[in-house]
Amino acid sequence: MFSRFRNRMGNSAPRHQLTREGVRLCDLHPGEKARVLEIGGSEQFRIRLMEMGLLTNDIVEVDKYAPLMDPMELIVKGYHLSLRRMDAEKIAVELIERNE
Amino acid sequence: MSRALTVAVAGNPNCGKTTIFNALTGTRQHVGNWPGVTVERKEGRFVHNEQTYKVIDLPGTYSLSTYSVEELVARDFIVQDEPDIIVNVVDASNLERNLFLTTQLIEIGRPLVIVLNMMDMAREKGLKIDTETLGVLLGAPVVPIVGRTGEGIDVLKDKIHRIQAHTSQKARHIDIQYHRDIEVQIEKISAVLAQGESPPVNVRWVAVKLLEKDDRIWEYLDGFADKEKLRQTTTEAIEQIEKIYQDTSRAAISHARYGFVRGAMQECVRSSTAEPIDYSRKIDKVLTHRVLGLPIFALFMWLMFVLTFDLGAYPMDWIDAGISWLVNTLHALVPDSMLSSLVVDGMIGGVGAIAVFLPNIFILFFVIAILEDSGYMARMAFIMDRVMHTLGLHGKAFIPLVMGFGCNVPAIMGTRILESRRDRILTTLINPFMSCSARLPVYILVAGAFFPENAGTVIFAMYVLGVVAAIFSGKLFSKTVLRGMSKPFVLELPPYQKPKLSSLLLHTWERGQVFIRKMGTVILVGSIIVWALGYFPREVELSQNYEAQSARITQEWEAQETEIEHAFDASVALGEEQYVSAMVPFESSGHYKELVTQRDSLKQQIAANYQEALQKVDFTRQAETMSQKWIGRLGKLIEPLVAPLGFTWREGVALVTGFVAKEIVVSTYGVLFGVGSDASEENAGILTSLRNSDMTPLIGLAFLVFVLLYTPCLATMAAIRRETGSWGWTTFSVVYSLLLAWLLAFGIYKIGSALEWLT
Ligand SMILES: Nc1nc2c(ncn2[C@@H]2O[C@H](COP(=O)(O)OP(=O)(O)O)[C@@H](O)[C@H]2O)c(=O)[nH]1
Ligand SMILES: [Mg+2]
Repeated sequence: MFSRFRNRMGNSAPRHQLTREGVRLCDLHPGEKARVLEIGGSEQFRIRLMEMGLLTNDIVEVDKYAPLMDPMELIVKGYHLSLRRMDAEKIAVELIERNE
Repeated sequence: MSRALTVAVAGNPNCGKTTIFNALTGTRQHVGNWPGVTVERKEGRFVHNEQTYKVIDLPGTYSLSTYSVEELVARDFIVQDEPDIIVNVVDASNLERNLFLTTQLIEIGRPLVIVLNMMDMAREKGLKIDTETLGVLLGAPVVPIVGRTGEGIDVLKDKIHRIQAHTSQKARHIDIQYHRDIEVQIEKISAVLAQGESPPVNVRWVAVKLLEKDDRIWEYLDGFADKEKLRQTTTEAIEQIEKIYQDTSRAAISHARYGFVRGAMQECVRSSTAEPIDYSRKIDKVLTHRVLGLPIFALFMWLMFVLTFDLGAYPMDWIDAGISWLVNTLHALVPDSMLSSLVVDGMIGGVGAIAVFLPNIFILFFVIAILEDSGYMARMAFIMDRVMHTLGLHGKAFIPLVMGFGCNVPAIMGTRILESRRDRILTTLINPFMSCSARLPVYILVAGAFFPENAGTVIFAMYVLGVVAAIFSGKLFSKTVLRGMSKPFVLELPPYQKPKLSSLLLHTWERGQVFIRKMGTVILVGSIIVWALGYFPREVELSQNYEAQSARITQEWEAQETEIEHAFDASVALGEEQYVSAMVPFESSGHYKELVTQRDSLKQQIAANYQEALQKVDFTRQAETMSQKWIGRLGKLIEPLVAPLGFTWREGVALVTGFVAKEIVVSTYGVLFGVGSDASEENAGILTSLRNSDMTPLIGLAFLVFVLLYTPCLATMAAIRRETGSWGWTTFSVVYSLLLAWLLAFGIYKIGSALEWLT
């Protein structure tokens, strides 16, 4: 009964280390927009984001943070998506619109 | 009529698949589980133009590259079971992301009908969609629909019918075109596939999947002969692509798919308003507000609790009264026999004790349906994720855990709102530690007996300890038996919607009926077993002749009564003598009236004494009888097991019966102490007996901890079995909680004894 889970773990999958320094998605403030430069993390996470429509070169807007400051809410491709900050830390971005 | 054709309804979560499934099939549907996994499988039928269609509502998926059990189910059905028609439901108000899955379904190459659902929302957003052109670009008919109102369902049925009738449909099939660099590699792999023996049906799709490094695609290639060459070609092709794109091949392919989608949208979608109003965003400004978000959430949780348990208390009482009435009436009507006792006490009584939870369960599911359909459920997850994440759980898991304070049965069934099976199992396993309301009478009794000054504090401590045990166990499990499978939290926050009553009722009924079915199986069997334990052996040898005792008490009472009558008669005779010369008869004098009152009050008093004495004998008899029945013997048998905790066989029996339902612990004590089984919390008899027994406050505390932690009841066990779909997990849960209960109670007793604390 336990083994059924083990073999579906994503742990063995390769992890992608971010190659660039700089701004991460989790550093953005509500209202700011950014372009996605690179997505790191486990392959499972990267695939998940791809199929949910968050790919490199896409524009994301940070809508807000949850009352306890985690997770964060993004607007991607016209819909609302929520990510934990620890996951958003694996996404390198380039700020394109500041919060006035 | 020809054979039934299979129609698979596929699409992203929340795009309206179930709504359309319901609109297609009406009431002709059946809910079950997919074989081997506890994922709900909904199947229904409809007839159109004399052709029967079997419709399957697949779990929602964002793509066909799968990680969760639910997505796997959907993919396996689409790929392996080869449905005759795939109906791809697409949220028209969120086209870009939804069409990503569509590109994959197109590639599979089965007959496909695309449903543009939520057209009302798209119109509201100011979107104009040219469905004709979109259909041409995607190579499949596109039907605009409003699932909520049923607008367009008949057109959909026609299209489903027509796509089947026209074989020429195949000719319209289009290929998703990738960039040249990728197309070259697809061709290379396709060539190898086509050359080999028994090539797969859809070569191009397999080639793309190989390039995507899809780990399950090799399973579909079992019959393929030249695997080695294929592997080599694939590896080389992937290397080439990754060199060009400086990214994984899967990412390159995903980019190309989204590129295709964007191209199609540019041609077919026009937006009339520049910046449409995002109403959901406005609502969220309040509901997930920095400061207000949590209080509002707490308010909703509180409302849910009050509705479920307070409102549910009324029908609960009616059911309770109804069952009692039924049991009593049947007892009065049917002569006593083993069969009548089995049916009335065992089956009706046992199942009835659990049927009282039905109102709670249905109300809870109704409230959950409102939360889900309105879109607030996703926000709850958003708000609580920070807290639940520390347990390795998804934010939504908070809801079933809190509901556990009311009753673990609906709470465990509420774990269905969680998408991942691992989260469901983890939440189910720790749920019983949330102290349910049935445990409260036990706390009140024992804490009242031993900690009359601090009863409230002790009871509160139990609730806290339960939460601590849940947190501890959650952490333990997620580090051991349920290790490391917590999925990344990538949650869609769908727009708010006004829930539709018919769909709320349907959801409630679908989930609630599962519990009803369970009452007829596991709970029935369990009730019969417990009944048998208390019923056999039929004849028990009692140490005293209780009948003779009762008879003697009756005799005494009768004698006393005669005595009173005699004394009264004598007084009356005396009075009459004194009144002989008077004008009025003695019977109307004040003195006579006084005598009558005196006699009556004396009679009343001895009658009460008599009843009490009789009851006492009866209680003692019940207590001794119970100790002689199997259940009592079981208590004595397990006494060595609980003796290290300072418990006697009485606690043993109470704990065994408490397995059926926690509140029974109190009535069992009542019976065992010979003070009656009135399970009211103020049962002073039990309180005194407990205090006068060998139990010390310390043992009482250990007992409370044990009651808090071990498996709450039979119904909970049945719910665990139901939701995990495995006896293995059920046994694990029972054994683990017993072990934890034992160890903690042991620790408290031993440490307390050593410190001579509370003894
Ligand atoms: N406005 C609108 N809402 C819809 C439509 N179809 C479904 N919904 C709502 O969308 C939500 C999700 O629908 P459901 O059928 O459960 O989606 P599923 O997860 O794909 O099965 C529910 O609240 C539905 O009432 C539609 O055409 N228009
Ligand atoms: Mg559904």
